[in-house]
Formats: sequence, C-alpha cells, structure tokens
Amino acid sequence: MSDVLRARGLVKTYRRGRAVDGVDLTVRRGERVALLGPNGAGKTTTLLMCLGVVEPDGGTVEIAGHRLPRGRSAAMAHVGFAAGYLPLPERLRVGEFLRMFGQLYGLADPEAQARRGLQRFGIPHLAKAMGTELSSGQKTLVGIVKSTMHDPELLVLDEPTASLDPDVAMRVRLGLTALCEERGTALLVTSHDMVEVERIAERVVFLSDGRVVADGPPLEVAARFGRDDLEEVFLHLASERQASEHTEGLRP
Amino acid sequence: MTSQGLEARGPARVSRELAPLLRVWAVARRHAYVLRRSPHRLFDVTVWPIVDTVLFGSLGVYFVHQGGPASAGQAGAAYLLSGIVLWHVVYQAQIAVSTGFMEETWSRNLLSLMVTPLKELELVAGIALFGLIKLVMGVGMVALAAFALYAFDVTKLGLGLLPVIAILLMGGWAIALVVVGLILRFGNGAEALAWGIMFVVMPLGGVFYPVEALPGILRPVSALLPTTHAFAAGRELIDGGPMPWDQLALAAVGTLVVTAGALGFVAWMLRLFRRRGYVTRYS
Repeated sequence: MSDVLRARGLVKTYRRGRAVDGVDLTVRRGERVALLGPNGAGKTTTLLMCLGVVEPDGGTVEIAGHRLPRGRSAAMAHVGFAAGYLPLPERLRVGEFLRMFGQLYGLADPEAQARRGLQRFGIPHLAKAMGTELSSGQKTLVGIVKSTMHDPELLVLDEPTASLDPDVAMRVRLGLTALCEERGTALLVTSHDMVEVERIAERVVFLSDGRVVADGPPLEVAARFGRDDLEEVFLHLASERQASEHTEGLRP
Repeated sequence: MTSQGLEARGPARVSRELAPLLRVWAVARRHAYVLRRSPHRLFDVTVWPIVDTVLFGSLGVYFVHQGGPASAGQAGAAYLLSGIVLWHVVYQAQIAVSTGFMEETWSRNLLSLMVTPLKELELVAGIALFGLIKLVMGVGMVALAAFALYAFDVTKLGLGLLPVIAILLMGGWAIALVVVGLILRFGNGAEALAWGIMFVVMPLGGVFYPVEALPGILRPVSALLPTTHAFAAGRELIDGGPMPWDQLALAAVGTLVVTAGALGFVAWMLRLFRRRGYVTRYS
C-alpha cells in the first residue's frame, strides 16, 4: 500500500466538451508530484475529482485506501488542500480560522497545532489578525498552515504561489520541502511556474486536452520532448493546443 | 474499502465517536463569530420581530376598537399576536439555516469545507445548531414585544405550545433545505428565495386564519401545508380548548413528509452540484 492517491481512468465531460479523458494518476507516499498543462488542459477538474468535490463520469479514485465517493469523509482526514485563489473566510481571525479547520480534522488540541504551523511558516504574529487584513502572500501562507496542521498523508496545492513575491514564494517552497522530507508527506501541486516545479517536484505529469501526455522526472520529460527544460515543454504544448483550437475554428 | 483504509496519522485526535460532534460544533462556532462581527445581521432577530409585532398587534387592537362582540375582537387580536410569535419560529429557523449556508458561499468557503472530513449533514446541523440561538433571540424578541406593548403573554398557552413549536421548527428547517438545494443548483441567483419563499408560505400556511378564510381556489393548497394545522392547533389553545391532537397529528405527519421530501431534494441537488462541477462558482 505505497500509493496514497490512486486515480484510474478519470473521465469528465461538461457541456462545452470533454475536460478530462481517461486520466490515470498515482502519487506514492512521500512523493512530490506536479500536475502541469496549459490553461484548459484539465488540471483543476482532475484535482477536484481526486478530492471528491466533482464526480467523475468514469473512473475511480482511492485515497489512503478509502474509495471515493463513499469513503470521502475518511479519505479527507488524510488530505490537506490549499489554493492560491481561495480567500480566508471574512470575519474570522487567523487563529479562529485555524482552530475551526483543526476541529474539522478532529484534532484534540487544534490551538497547539495552529501555533506550530504558524511557527513553521514564520508567521506566528498573524494569529490574532483578521483574515481581511492579510496580504495575498500571508493569506497563502495561512492557507498552507491550515492544510498541513493535521499532518496529512497527501497535500494538494492548486497554484500555491500564484501572484506571490519571490521571497514569499521561496519561503513557501522551503517550508513545503522541509515538511515533505520530515513527515514523508506526499505532495500533488499544480503551478504555472516551471522553475518552481523543477525545484519542488520529483515527478511531473503533463496534461493536454484532458489526457496525460507525459509522466516522469522533470529532466526526463523535457528530454522526451527534445527540450531543455519544463518551461519549453509547457510552451510547446500550449502552442500545439492553440494550433488545434485554430484548426477546429477553421472547420466548416 | 472505506473501513479498510488507513487511520489518520500525526497529532492526537478525538475519538471516532466524538469527531462528528466536534465538526458540528466547529461549524456552529464559526457562525457565532460571523454574527458577533456582523451587527447588521442582528436586524433579523431584533428589528424584524419588533416590526412584525407592532404591525400585527396594532391591527388586532384596531379590530377590537371597531365595535362588534368584544370577545370576537379580543380573540382576533390574540390570534394575530400568537400567530406572529409562532410564525417567527418558522421564519427564524428557515432564515438562520439559509443565510448560514449562504455565508459559506459568500465567503467562498465551500470548496475548503468540502475538502475536509465534514459531511453535508454535519454542515447543516452545525448551522442549524447556531440557528437555534438566533431563533431563541428572534422569537424571544417577538414574545417580549407582544407582552410589553400589547400585554399578550404567549406562555399562558401552556405546555401545549411545545409540540406546536417543535413542528414549526422542523417545518422551517425543511423550507431552508429546499432553499439550500435551489442555491446549489442555481447559484447565488436563488438567494432571493430565502426571504421570498416565506412570503408565499405566510398567507397560505394558516398563520393568522383558518383554511376557510382563503379563497376557494387556494384552500386545497393551504390544507396540504403542515403549518396550517400547527397554527390551527395554536389557535385552539388560545381559545382555551383541550390539546388538539388531531390537528397536531396532521401537522406532524405532514411535516415529516415535507422534511423527507426536502432532504431528498437537497440530496438530488447536491449530486447535480458534484456532477456538474458547480463548486467552481464559489472558488
């Protein structure tokens, strides 16, 4: 049982077309994986299906041995999730927000875990701040503290460093890498910052048009496409997608 | 597979039996913070109850002063005042749950909540638990205003009032579930229904008058609503009659049917919400 996430044959079709088309995704315990692809490649839909928030039309998802959707609640005790685009709820102080989520995760002493988490990411002074008073970087950090305070097996981060200053992004990266190494936490992350991905991820999964087009260590994947780095692979896939959209548009 | 999955690791956790209660408590507490820091939300539990009491209490007093048999006028005034006190049980229960759920959509917190062990029913239970406090405040305010301004003491109706209140409370929650289902399906555009739906139920639900007072075409609808029978039971208590078990039984069975229907509806809408990926509306 070394897989913390096992998704098989995920399919999702919306009215505008097929968003995800037979995606297999496995994350092993302690592994750091990046899910990449141009806009509209199906990353977020895949993530949301893996988290049990969106129901797949086909395929299966299993987290820490709990099959979704039936075992969703038990599975989520093993998962932490944060996204750069999610705000903190208004009218809550950071400490109250963290305690609430600690209680949702069933922690016996959520306050202590919240203090530890804030300390880990260098923001203990924010405990009493209102969510609305924080900068976007601080909100991201608090979101990551929230997602890690219960020591999850799998940490899922959707665009965690989007629109962050380089120094805050570095603090996030270092904090996450240390956490994964210390606790053996598996990481599944999406990002448009390929340099960051090369620093964090041991394995990348590239999606294009809802399908997995590459899966492997960053340098191997780049080499497979005849490119020097992930940035070039990304641009190559994005231009292919644009060309195919253009061709679709020209069809009578 | 569920039972064979891994146990959660890491920091100490509460027992498996206690975890659902802790989650319900966490949701209720979060909503307590929201109310404390949004004084404008006290409007629903302070100003509206007083406005309603003054409106219907004064109508009652006016009818008493219009002449005719004094006893009939006084009974009419008492029906209006008891009606508005009991109506606020339905209203406060419904509004507390609907707006509590909407708070999670306004603050774009739904996605974060859905990626925790919190179950849908626990979310509703947490919101409803805190809603009970709002309900006590709102109904208490109407009862207090009715006593202070019109010398109408609702407690004189006795313990018979308790089952009526329980039925109306359940009815309010059932309406709230329907509103939550509609918001899941249609998004925040359906918010207006949270308040609007009450203005449909009020005239048809027998709050101040029996079914016979309605136009013939509306009577069958009114007779089908469980609130109609609960309010009728309340009026019989006002008249000093014995406990109206027949009306109570009709109201209780009707409320159970409506609640089961509302639960089914919200479960259906939730499935649609997950299937169509509507969560992205709130993220």
